[in-house]
Amino acid sequence: MNYLSLSLVELHNLIVSGKVTPEQLVKDSLELARKDNNNAFEYICEKEAIEEVKNLDPKLKDSIFYGIPIVIKDNFSTKDIPTTGSSNILKGYIPLFSSEVALRLKKAGAILIGKTTLDELAMGGSGTTGHLGTTFNPWDPTHQHLIGGSSCGSAAAISGGIVPFAVGSDTGDSVRKPANNAGLVGFKPTWGRISRYGLFPFATSLDHVAYFNRTVEDAALTLNVLAGRDEKDASSSLVPVVDFVKNINDSIKGKKIAVIKEIVDSINNKTIIDAFNKSINMLRDNGAIVDEVSVDIKLLKAIYPTYIIISCAEATSNNANLDGIKFGNRIEGDSFEQVMINTRNNGFSELIKRRFVIGSFSLLSENANELFIRAQKCRRLIVDAFNKVFENYDAIYCPASPSAAPLMDSVSDTLSNEYLIADNYLAYGNMGGFPSITLPIGFENGLPFGANLTAKPFDESNLLKIANSLEKATGLSSLVAGKEK
Amino acid sequence: MEYTAVIGLEIHVEMKTKSKMFSSSPVSYGFDPNTNVSVVDMAFPGTMPTVNKQAVINAIRVSNALHMSIDDTVIFERKNYFYSDLPKGYQITQQFRPIGSNGYLTINTSNGEKKIRVERLHMEEDTCKQLHSWDFSLLDYNRAGIPLIEIVSKPDLTSGEEAAKYVEKIRSIVSFLDVSDGKMEEGSLRCDVNVSIKEKGSDKLGTKVEIKNLNSIANIQTAIDFEINRQALVLDCGGKIEQETRRFDEGSQETVIMRLKTDAVDYKYFTEPNIPPIKLSKEFIEDAIKSSPELAEARLIRYKELGLNDYDSSLLLVNKETSDYFDKALLSKANPKLIANWVIGDVQSYLNKNNISISNFKVDPLMLGKLVNLISEGKVSSKQAKDIFAEMINSNEDPETIISKSGTSQVSDESALLPIITVLLDANPNLIADYKAGKDRVLGFFVGQVMKQTQGKANPSLTSKLIIEEMNRR
Repeated sequence: MNYLSLSLVELHNLIVSGKVTPEQLVKDSLELARKDNNNAFEYICEKEAIEEVKNLDPKLKDSIFYGIPIVIKDNFSTKDIPTTGSSNILKGYIPLFSSEVALRLKKAGAILIGKTTLDELAMGGSGTTGHLGTTFNPWDPTHQHLIGGSSCGSAAAISGGIVPFAVGSDTGDSVRKPANNAGLVGFKPTWGRISRYGLFPFATSLDHVAYFNRTVEDAALTLNVLAGRDEKDASSSLVPVVDFVKNINDSIKGKKIAVIKEIVDSINNKTIIDAFNKSINMLRDNGAIVDEVSVDIKLLKAIYPTYIIISCAEATSNNANLDGIKFGNRIEGDSFEQVMINTRNNGFSELIKRRFVIGSFSLLSENANELFIRAQKCRRLIVDAFNKVFENYDAIYCPASPSAAPLMDSVSDTLSNEYLIADNYLAYGNMGGFPSITLPIGFENGLPFGANLTAKPFDESNLLKIANSLEKATGLSSLVAGKEK
Repeated sequence: MEYTAVIGLEIHVEMKTKSKMFSSSPVSYGFDPNTNVSVVDMAFPGTMPTVNKQAVINAIRVSNALHMSIDDTVIFERKNYFYSDLPKGYQITQQFRPIGSNGYLTINTSNGEKKIRVERLHMEEDTCKQLHSWDFSLLDYNRAGIPLIEIVSKPDLTSGEEAAKYVEKIRSIVSFLDVSDGKMEEGSLRCDVNVSIKEKGSDKLGTKVEIKNLNSIANIQTAIDFEINRQALVLDCGGKIEQETRRFDEGSQETVIMRLKTDAVDYKYFTEPNIPPIKLSKEFIEDAIKSSPELAEARLIRYKELGLNDYDSSLLLVNKETSDYFDKALLSKANPKLIANWVIGDVQSYLNKNNISISNFKVDPLMLGKLVNLISEGKVSSKQAKDIFAEMINSNEDPETIISKSGTSQVSDESALLPIITVLLDANPNLIADYKAGKDRVLGFFVGQVMKQTQGKANPSLTSKLIIEEMNRR
């Protein structure tokens, strides 16, 4: 039996009862990682993982992560383990320190077996732009469908059955979108809930630590480990951390859920809509009150351009440290200016440079009012509109995407409502810092797709409760590609 | 043509906090390059800034000393540009909401008092230090991230002298507040000057020239006065002032051009998203001010209450270290005026002669106080005190220990002095007669003789008193 296809809870029980040892799990996981043909890995921790599991502290045995093989997206700093952000500019960079997320997981007994691929520096949503090329979707052995990004390698590693848990990051929808395409639970807690220290910044005000699980309960258990103030991250929250699992099976009777009409209406795919409507009935059957609610379509269409301006502007500044002077893949030159120009010209792909140009342009003093500051104002209007919904509702519920994993060469009409809204609206969760979770609700031609639940800041307990109730109703949990459910 | 100069100053002060502005690595000077550096200072990917509380307290204290309004919300911005000494590719600074704004400073010039308005005071971080060679550059990240406060004046200054006084006053404030060493020579206080001139009486401002590389207050004065004259000469000859950056050349004592100022760099400022706005409570601000170290002005008032005159006080207040030394010596309860005389007299001349600073002076101020007490009590003469002082510097010993070792204690015992005096007077009846006839200097002669016979140990005032009594008795 491939234990690595189980949930954290199931695996934990097997470890505790002695049916499987951490050593065996790590060995198996490394073996599967070596055989991975989806381009999920930047680095496999062959020696490090074996060494770590050998030195695993038995006192941690009660921890849910005790002896669990995990992967972390390669934009989280890991001490002594190469971390590239899937960009050539950081080829050969070996950090001197670990991200807080990596530290907390290690302290909980998790064994890092690899660093996973991403869209270069987390800027992208396709999983095709990392310096190692396209990462494939394990649900499609013919490699014709996208897995999505930017947390493509993490999504591929967990949906491919290599590990039961994977860390990602989510600036627009970088965990919640691949979760849709790979049949996973993808969870982005509130901005500030989890320390970002050691996460390579893409767009600081939108960046979230996020992660993939196979069940909602696992997501809650993971949050228990990762949540909480970190003095190294001034933006990490002082809001008290509760036990997120404790009440997860409570009834959702009377919980109020809003379905945003304009988002659903922008979707053309009937399979998605049918499954979504079916899932609404399940929520109602479980006692929730589900209403259709309107949000100004102009604001919904503005989410994507607003996101682009703000994220590119912050990205150009956040990545200005990558100049070849201090670390990374320096390309020499006759002067320090030449070193910087050569390093950055060679290190970044054209896509990244394009984002930097957009970002710089929107920050220039002659443009800032029309672009960057306007985008910030627009962000405020968008967040206010959703906050207004949250005044009356516990959660917002919508399809996570207008489709299951799209074909590699599919072309979107980038001015259509479907593209502007349904395909890109999830960034509202980043703009407001809202906790947001995607979970599978159906299949189309053998490919899974999901829906998304989002709640007001720091209300993860309610959000997880509703998601758990829905998951129980659909029965779609612990999906692993190629494994019959 | 007659001109008026319009001068504004931008002063950068390096704070001597324990740790850096946004990281926990130590602030230190004189260490090997790149030994006090953290991953934050070198901008390794994923590192994040955390605000140094003491730096905020310092900024509040200096703002208060400059009579500024203090913003109760601390917000930082990013100033974006590429340079080899800038690790992150941006500097975290306070562009839009400086912690201090709209203050003033009063200076004393040869033309009397003058109020100089101070526009803003903000916190930021230092860049790393560069050492350029002919074909390579070395970077020292020890300096990267050291907390700075930048103080920007309004263009209210009109001469080199005023600018020098202004900088002197800022230096005094930041050093007395324990915010900075304020040493221009070591770069812990740096000053950029903007100078323009306009026709006297005119409202039309001239073109601004910036002067950099000023490493002493004297140079600021010289450079500004030179620059004013240079600009006047250019205009008088029908020339035009270029908008440029100049530096002060110490050798020629002139300002020389560094570069023309072309279009200003666009720094693409935006709010630092890693530092959520910090709300300062009223109590926090008040505590920072209340617990603020004593400024030179307050010390001056205290010294005058002790009976010191303006001149002596000003010598004691020449820097914080000297004033601190004096204050510590006061704890000995010795006479303040006498202590002051010693500190600005013998102590200072020893320091000058040996070119050492008072903070490295070995003699404990309490011991100096003890010595002064011994003089007041008549246990040692002023002359002996000088020898004891020299020995204190040598051996670092307590003055009483030195006295008991060398037996230099003053003879204040009447029974020891009287026999000597009696013999002396017996041998000189004619001089006694002279004294009684009004020749006062006879007394001096007798005292001198007693001193001679006691190898200077006799207490001079007691000796003189005894001689007078004895002569009157005859």
